[in-house]
Amino acid sequence: MASSGSGSAGSADAATARKHTKRPKYSKFTQQELPACKPILTPRAVISSFLIVSVFFIPIGVACLLASNDVVEIIDRYDSDCIPENFKNNKVGYIQSSIDKTCNRTLNVTKHMKSPIYVYYELDNFYQNHRRYVKSRNDDQLRDPKKGDSTEFCKPEDLSGGRAIVPCGLIAWSLFNDTYSFSRENNMLAVNKKGISWKSDREHKFGKDVFPKNFQNSSLIGGARLNESIPLSEQEDLIVWMRTAALPTFRKLYGRIEVDLNAGDQIHVTLKNYYNTYSFNGKKMLVLSTTTWLGGKNNFLGIAYLSVGGLCFFLAMAFTIIYFIKPRQLGDPSYLSWNRSPGGQ
Amino acid sequence: MDRNSRASVQIPSTRTSGLSGVEPQAPDRRTIFCNDRRTNLPTPFPGNSISTTKFNIFTFLPKGLFEQFRRVANLYFLGISILAATPISPISPITNVVPLSMVLLISLTKEAFEDWKRRQNDNVINNRMIDVLQDQTWESVAWKNLQVGDIVRVKQDGYFPADLLFLASTNADGVCYIETANLDGETNLKIRKALEKTWEYLTSEKASEFQGEIECEQPNNSLYTFTGNLIFQAQTLPLSPNQILLRGCSVKNTGYIVGVVIFTGHETKVMMNSMNVPSKRSTLERKLDKLILALFATLFGICFIGAIGSGFFVSNKYFYLRLDVGGEGSGQFNSSNRFLVFVLTLFTLLTLYSPLIPISLYVSIEMVKFIQSTQFINNDWCMYHKETNTPALARTSNLNEELGQVEYIFSDKTGTLTRNLMEFFKCSIGDQVYGTGVTEIERQIAERNGMKIEENKSDTAVKEKGFNFDDDRLMQGAWRNEPNPDICKEFFRCLAICHTVLPEGDESPEKIKYQAASPDEAALVIAAKKFGFFFYRRTPTAIYVRESHVEKKGQLQDTSYEILNVLEFNSTRKRQSVICRYPDGRLLLYCKGADTVIYERLADGADDIKKLTREYLEQFGSSGLRTLCLAYKELSIHAYEIWNEKFVQAKSSLSDRDKKLDEVAELIETDLILIGSTAIEDKLQEGVPACIETLQRAGIKIWVLTGDKIETAINIAYASNLISNEMKKFIISAETDAMREVEERGDPVEIAHFIREEVKKQLKSSLEEAQSYLRSLSGQKLALVIDGKSLMHALDPSLRVMLLNLGLNCHGVVCCRVSPLQKAQVTRLVKKGANKITLSIGDGANDVSMIQAAHVGVGISGMEGMQAVMASDFAIAQFRFLADLLLVHGRWSYQRVCKVITYFLYKNLTFTLTQFWFTFQTGFSGQRFYDDWYQSLYNVIFTALPVIVVGLFDKDVSASLSRKYPGLYMEGIRNVFFKRSVVATWAFFSIYQSLILFNFVILPSSGAKNSAGKTLGHWDVSTMAYTCVIVTVNLRLFMICNSVTRWHLIAVGGSILAWFIFTFIYSVVKLGNEHFVIYVIMSTPYFYLTLLLVPFAALFGDFVFHGIQRWFFPYDYQIIQEIHRDEPESSNRTELLEVGSNLTPPEARSYAMSQLPREVSKHTGFAFDSPGYESFFASQFGVYSPLKAWDVARRASRRAPKTGHRK
Repeated sequence: MASSGSGSAGSADAATARKHTKRPKYSKFTQQELPACKPILTPRAVISSFLIVSVFFIPIGVACLLASNDVVEIIDRYDSDCIPENFKNNKVGYIQSSIDKTCNRTLNVTKHMKSPIYVYYELDNFYQNHRRYVKSRNDDQLRDPKKGDSTEFCKPEDLSGGRAIVPCGLIAWSLFNDTYSFSRENNMLAVNKKGISWKSDREHKFGKDVFPKNFQNSSLIGGARLNESIPLSEQEDLIVWMRTAALPTFRKLYGRIEVDLNAGDQIHVTLKNYYNTYSFNGKKMLVLSTTTWLGGKNNFLGIAYLSVGGLCFFLAMAFTIIYFIKPRQLGDPSYLSWNRSPGGQ
Repeated sequence: MDRNSRASVQIPSTRTSGLSGVEPQAPDRRTIFCNDRRTNLPTPFPGNSISTTKFNIFTFLPKGLFEQFRRVANLYFLGISILAATPISPISPITNVVPLSMVLLISLTKEAFEDWKRRQNDNVINNRMIDVLQDQTWESVAWKNLQVGDIVRVKQDGYFPADLLFLASTNADGVCYIETANLDGETNLKIRKALEKTWEYLTSEKASEFQGEIECEQPNNSLYTFTGNLIFQAQTLPLSPNQILLRGCSVKNTGYIVGVVIFTGHETKVMMNSMNVPSKRSTLERKLDKLILALFATLFGICFIGAIGSGFFVSNKYFYLRLDVGGEGSGQFNSSNRFLVFVLTLFTLLTLYSPLIPISLYVSIEMVKFIQSTQFINNDWCMYHKETNTPALARTSNLNEELGQVEYIFSDKTGTLTRNLMEFFKCSIGDQVYGTGVTEIERQIAERNGMKIEENKSDTAVKEKGFNFDDDRLMQGAWRNEPNPDICKEFFRCLAICHTVLPEGDESPEKIKYQAASPDEAALVIAAKKFGFFFYRRTPTAIYVRESHVEKKGQLQDTSYEILNVLEFNSTRKRQSVICRYPDGRLLLYCKGADTVIYERLADGADDIKKLTREYLEQFGSSGLRTLCLAYKELSIHAYEIWNEKFVQAKSSLSDRDKKLDEVAELIETDLILIGSTAIEDKLQEGVPACIETLQRAGIKIWVLTGDKIETAINIAYASNLISNEMKKFIISAETDAMREVEERGDPVEIAHFIREEVKKQLKSSLEEAQSYLRSLSGQKLALVIDGKSLMHALDPSLRVMLLNLGLNCHGVVCCRVSPLQKAQVTRLVKKGANKITLSIGDGANDVSMIQAAHVGVGISGMEGMQAVMASDFAIAQFRFLADLLLVHGRWSYQRVCKVITYFLYKNLTFTLTQFWFTFQTGFSGQRFYDDWYQSLYNVIFTALPVIVVGLFDKDVSASLSRKYPGLYMEGIRNVFFKRSVVATWAFFSIYQSLILFNFVILPSSGAKNSAGKTLGHWDVSTMAYTCVIVTVNLRLFMICNSVTRWHLIAVGGSILAWFIFTFIYSVVKLGNEHFVIYVIMSTPYFYLTLLLVPFAALFGDFVFHGIQRWFFPYDYQIIQEIHRDEPESSNRTELLEVGSNLTPPEARSYAMSQLPREVSKHTGFAFDSPGYESFFASQFGVYSPLKAWDVARRASRRAPKTGHRK
């Protein structure tokens, strides 16, 4: 018989044949019958998901905007105003000279500012995120006094006279060194500079028994000097500075004024304009700002929430109108490609 | 190499004179001294141990790595990793090394595992024991220690350890039976016969006296040829393949055999045949290569932009960067050489943006496809055939998605569309026609003519597999009362004697089993049995027939007919003869064959019978039956002896043996007397018409390529629904009257020229007509029928285009009388010429070339021959499973793989572009946005699993709906899920998303971010952005899911969770930029607001797009989803199964029959050239058969059964 070859093996013994059946074992997995839900993006589903999103997003957006509006912010750009008239054409020469850099500014408070009021400096066109800059630090050295000599990645600010610089690297070297002092009606406003850095930085990244060494000793001074008797974990300006910014325009916390400022107050600022942003045409700004639960002024978030929510609402309406004007019956077979063009092509 | 040291056994030389007489071996042959290791010593024969491993311990790493790095993506990442180790890189090497090593680790582990398994397998085989003759006793020795010239004993069911020269067996007449399943998959037994002179060397004592020299050809890979001589007792005896036992075969039904080792180890024919099969790559994967190239172009593009920017940016004015100072990597920021800056930054950015190239894509796709094929296709219940106990088998996992895009199917007929289950249905003996059965085709024709045929089966109707015949006039010995019982007797004897069938099993009519190369033959022998001529035993020289009712009704009589010669069948002869001697000494020649060749050789006279028989043949043919003519001839002893001398001469000739044999056969096959004819029904396979209809509705065009006659082929085409009466048929045939006329003149050049012109004319007119039909709005479908001879000319380069145009416009194409080569040519014509995706399906050796030529080859498994399966990419048991394979598995695989690829593109592009936008903010310095580890784990952990889950589980519509709406398949043919616009849409939205992800996070980043007025730094912002990217990209995956199982939820949720867990731990453990960053940002409400806003805003665009697309431009599958939205997915698949083919087989068949042609064609339907035929005879009798390069190479190398013989 034609197929007896395979048949004889199988039918020799019915019992063994059943045992040797090659029928695959059943499982929902192999038969591809796993229980599944099948979400279908029906017009109704589209419209309702749009509505749900807008219902959630619009209130959030409103809340964000309200919070943002509560923030009072005073911004004062002083980089060009603090250059004396005769140095207007030689700003770099001025900043590199040893002339007294004191500069007086007056800020008008237009709205009541509740304490604490945060003082920021804002730099522009300053590439703290430049590849050469970002890596120019040594975290081991900053944390561990025993590793004071490790200056890997810190070139060219790694050694001074053959000895390791602590803190080494370009970031520390270029530490911002303008200083501000504030007074209102001849009363000094104290600026609290404690606790301006993130706690984790203070406690984990900068050592309590690591002290600056050989810092700013070379011929070229990049920025601020550090008091060698204060451990790095308490050098909060440095800690803030070394948390490098993501964008070339950034704000860094300088300190806190812990009294309320009233509308109409005039704040006198005496600042030392030391830091060179003139070489690269960078702006310098002084910012006084209050905060809310959301932080500082931040309209973007509120606007973005409102736009997305509003757009969703608009689309929900538009789709609803289309749904009524030109409804598409669900599962209309006339949409099938082989029904649209006769001949199945 | 010192052979004695390798062998652990020493066999003393029994030859004393041989040593001095060793001559250098001629390069084209080898001389083997039997039973004499020492004399063989100077010749470096290899040992018998085999190794199929790719590597060993020392070569594994270098070789394995080399193979891995032949993949461009891996090589690219190696380059990037090296680049990352230099100072110009912004990222540390781990960023690329981690994913690369993970990919390599997975691939190498797989390789090592497979190789280890191969090694174990080799060891098992090499250490198998075999009895070798040593000092007059049989010693058990491991296979690996066997050497050329050794005498071995192989017991029943044992495997031959090497290629052996067959000396003796325990069977009488020196025959043994072997099974060649390992070689060609055929499970029927073959006979081998030793030379008569060596029969006696059976016992160890006797065998140790055996001394002979074998001169034979050098090892080669031809399984069916062997030339050589045995020089033995001063005689030179020619050897044929009939005396050769090949390694890999096993002994059956024989106590034991004794043989001499002639080829060992890697020189055995089976090993010489094992070669690596070139693997096919799917069309989609080739398109993927283009996409990867496009990604490379994008990569260089964005690097170029960044590098130009950096060239402009670099300036000493940024004093805090100290660009003026030298030091490591100073060249990159040297403003006095901006070109150098440009070049170096190019490389910097190349490393930075390297995640754009999806390194894990190939591994992921491989994994997905591997599981798809091994778990889904191989285990599908719907493709399990109970009768033959055969599940579907994906022999490669490369082509799953190709199954979803097939546009042309090339199908064999016999065994594929039809069952290859032949049933003896009708016959004509002398001037009478017998058989009351009505074929389905006849019934349909009759019904259409308004007649109803009642089938009145008599009680005596016997039905057995292979026999479906009913006529009281012949059954139960009733033929003795017929007008001419003598001719009936000849008819039955011819059936019982003239064949090459082997009986197997118990010698009783009920239990016996027949082994035949062609099911036609088996059907004829079964018919003889039913008529009372029971063939029950075959020895090499005789056939034993238990005849009943011959002398007297009811009387049994065992008769043995001595078989003198067998003139075997081949495709040129189209006939087969047996010369036998009756017990009373009469010599008779029985012959059966195609009507044309038999009629040419008939003796003059008896014109009535000839005329009548011819009529009957035409009747049978038009009923769709396969016919054969039977004839006989009585020989005089004298004439026979003269002829036999010539025959023996021809048989022992070394050159052109088969041609000479054919010529000698011609001499005796003359003046035959016609006995009658037989008609055999070739049954359609279950569900074939329904399946073909389904496939056609799926937009697939089916071409049937068959060796059958044009009429038979057309009949089957009608029966199987391929052609219907509504179709306009074009028939291109070289069998016109004009052609016959020219042929009779006999000038081959003229014939060829004439046929060519004729074919050209026919093609041209058909094509014009076809085009006019297509232009008209009637929408009539077209069908083309073309025969092999015309095809030969139509495939000529000048006519090929015309043929292709015509063929592509037709819904069904039937090519008849085509050779295996032509099958492959036609397949290639469509594959290359029309650039369509093709699938070939077949069951026999003659389909192998076609199966290999097509994009996807499908073999029918569970039947006798395995050659097609060995060459195929997928094996299924039944043609109808093709619907499941294509419409369900193929369609799903295609969709899933498309999703995996496009999603990979999307996630890598989105991620890299955020990085690219950041470059603009950093003075083009190439500063990385994300932490090294985050970047390196992005692809391998945080986004790896969900896409694999989608690749495995995504399901647009259920399996039953896939079958119910075959039109869904056309989405695959049109490639709607991976066309340019789809890729472009993904790319567009990934640009959109990356812009949102980057800007929405970074724009509001300056300013206080908590109520304590603190600001965020670079790493805080980047970690926030990264979190948003992870969430967005993972959620985006949900939007492409058609079904969401709990695995989706686990994978997506798990990936996001994995990110958080990782960063929680990482930011504590590692001192550096990311130190405590996640805790810092998570302490601000700003983080949570961003995390809610950004993914929503990013996915908003995609969501709107999907909504609009579904609303206004829905895909077909989406409509189907909607139609069946509320149906719960039934887990009972068998019930659903019937939605697809709700006709029972008989219903389907009669439905099919209603499609049959109205006109009765005048053809005789000869069809005896069944696929396995030639090779069967070749192996049976050691006759040279044309070496088929397309099958030999493959089949031997592929099968690795559990019993462990590996080739």
